[in-house]
Amino acid sequence: MNTHIVSIIIKREYLNRVKKKSFLIVTFVVPVLFAAICVLPSLIMYAAKEEAKTVAVVDASGIVLPYLNDTESAVYADYSAFSPDTVKAKLGELGVDALLSISALNEEKTLTAELFSEKPLGMELTESINDKINDAVEAYRVESYEIEDLDNIMKSIKANVKLTSYTIGEDGKETVSETGVYMIVSMLLGMIIYMFIALFGGMVMSSVIEEKASRVVEVLVSSVKATELMFGKIIGVALVAITQFALWIILAGALTVGATSIFAPKMDAAAMTEMAGMAAPGTPDLTSVATDSEASVIFSTLGNLPLGEILICFFVFFIFGYLLYASLFAAIGSAVENEADTQQLQIPLTIPLLLGFFIALYAFKAPDSAVVFWGSMIPFTSPIVMIARIPFGVATWEIILSAVLLIATFAGCAYVSSKIYKVGILMFGKKSTWKDLWKWLKLK
Amino acid sequence: MALIECKEICKNFGEKVALDHISLEIPEGKIFGLLGPNGAGKTTLIRIINRITIPNGGEVVFNGHTITQADVEKIGYMPEERGLYRKMEVGDQAMYLAQLKGMSAADAQRELKKWFIKFGIQDWWKKKVEELSKGMAQKVQFITTVVHRPKLLILDEPFSGFDPVNAELIRKEILKLRDDGATIVLSTHNMESVEELCDNIALINKSRLVITGGVEEIRRNYGNNNAELVYSDADGEHTEVIAIRDDNSVLKDILAKPGTIVKSYKELMPRMNDIFIKLVTEGE
Repeated sequence: MNTHIVSIIIKREYLNRVKKKSFLIVTFVVPVLFAAICVLPSLIMYAAKEEAKTVAVVDASGIVLPYLNDTESAVYADYSAFSPDTVKAKLGELGVDALLSISALNEEKTLTAELFSEKPLGMELTESINDKINDAVEAYRVESYEIEDLDNIMKSIKANVKLTSYTIGEDGKETVSETGVYMIVSMLLGMIIYMFIALFGGMVMSSVIEEKASRVVEVLVSSVKATELMFGKIIGVALVAITQFALWIILAGALTVGATSIFAPKMDAAAMTEMAGMAAPGTPDLTSVATDSEASVIFSTLGNLPLGEILICFFVFFIFGYLLYASLFAAIGSAVENEADTQQLQIPLTIPLLLGFFIALYAFKAPDSAVVFWGSMIPFTSPIVMIARIPFGVATWEIILSAVLLIATFAGCAYVSSKIYKVGILMFGKKSTWKDLWKWLKLK
Repeated sequence: MALIECKEICKNFGEKVALDHISLEIPEGKIFGLLGPNGAGKTTLIRIINRITIPNGGEVVFNGHTITQADVEKIGYMPEERGLYRKMEVGDQAMYLAQLKGMSAADAQRELKKWFIKFGIQDWWKKKVEELSKGMAQKVQFITTVVHRPKLLILDEPFSGFDPVNAELIRKEILKLRDDGATIVLSTHNMESVEELCDNIALINKSRLVITGGVEEIRRNYGNNNAELVYSDADGEHTEVIAIRDDNSVLKDILAKPGTIVKSYKELMPRMNDIFIKLVTEGE
């Protein structure tokens, strides 16, 4: 390889993308979209509040009605003086949305309840009504034992134990851990690697197709070797990915600082001390942690994550995962002249990529299970799955083995891809299949 | 002296033989026509000379030594399947291609500006290729092929896609480059331009070399050794085809008649087109 020539190719591939408007747009819009996706569900929940429904209640038992307090979503009206059938027949006329008919208590100290409405009621409302009826029946039963103060006894029996988990490090040090935090970090890391591989691998493929479709490729390979062109492109796009990622980190940092400076004054003193404590990770005070609030546990868990290890692994697995897929995407791009023809050829690449993504999403449930373990070893899924496992702690030998396998597979695939690419880019005017790619691979 | 010598070049793609022991010499400082029907193997041979494709057998000798990747900088190639990055600015693109041919940025900039002015397209430097017409893009393409002053220029169907005015411009430039010492390989179906431009040719058909040599020599060899005489006498104007013999007896008889005025006398040489068709169909 002629490094001077490759550097010229890398430079063009890099500058040509970074100078584009779409690069800037993606850089700034994606974080905003991401934030929107995080905020949207609660916004929708908030916006989805309905007008309160009026529920007519015919309570033959006489014990449920006192428990049916009006809420934001439902107003209860006592129709016990009427028969359920009369009310049922005149729902519209009475201006009520539903009829709740409750039978009298039977010998087993239970009752039946039925809800009638013209339009189905929301799940939230029916569940809340159901809960209230159960509360009423339970209270009635407690009462019927006629034991003094049973009410309070029952309440005092209700247990409310908080389980705090600790992880014991190799040095025997115990650190408090919040599984939820691990879960989010794990999913996030897996998603980011998946997204980057799919996005930038796809970019390499489009760029190969563009060169072939515009017929500039034969001019190029008359000056440089096909492999130089392919790797120049792959490296150039990798630098774009790294630039984009760095910009996102800076942007996220700026947003966090901005947000903190807005909200910080509203924080109480205690929260501030917690934040301060979090700033010095690695030295958790066990006694204080155990009694601290939830936020402190989250911060402490974050602080105890093996950040250095995560960063190094993220870098290694992202770079080689990208290189592996990008070289294969380049080979596929070389076989076609427009994007539409890639769909069939792409399937063998998108399936392992998606598989890796889904395994990574569920890695938190059982980070050491067989599926997740093998997912983090097999090179086509390992970049995504391994990074999702790392927050939960992975033995060093596993990480090294997985990385070595990944790098070796990349080397093999790069060789295979460059052979296919070399032939493919000069095949004009026909739609190629996997069979053709196999033939090209065997050509000398 | 030959700038390029192809020695027993063989190439096959799987079962399919693309080139079968092709040996030919491309003389330095001349225009060499590479002819043959579609699918004969011309493009494959050109790609082998360019080192885009590696042959299964044989070797290419460039300027006296086996060709290496470093020699590629001394070649300028305009493929038949040609084009430019559509979304890239013309100037950036020309600079990129020139630098890939080993020119420094400063050299490339200076030489490109000269060519752009020469072709009257200096205003296009900042335009995107997709804004250019096809003819305009072809001019840029030609410039990027020759800007690094290649010793060897390989042009595959150079006139396709050009309007007559631009084709003439390119034809003149090709001749000028030849006069300045460049060796030019022209692959084309256009037999008129072969007769007009080429000093030597090679005809490839079905992966094999059918004939190679000087254009004049080949045309003469395939002719019937006849000449066309146009003359006038008392009866008016006559055109006669006469055999060229040592004794010139027919010619003498005509000239002997009183009042005969010779208007023209020229050797009848077959058109390259006819030779091409004859040789290709003979092989079938």
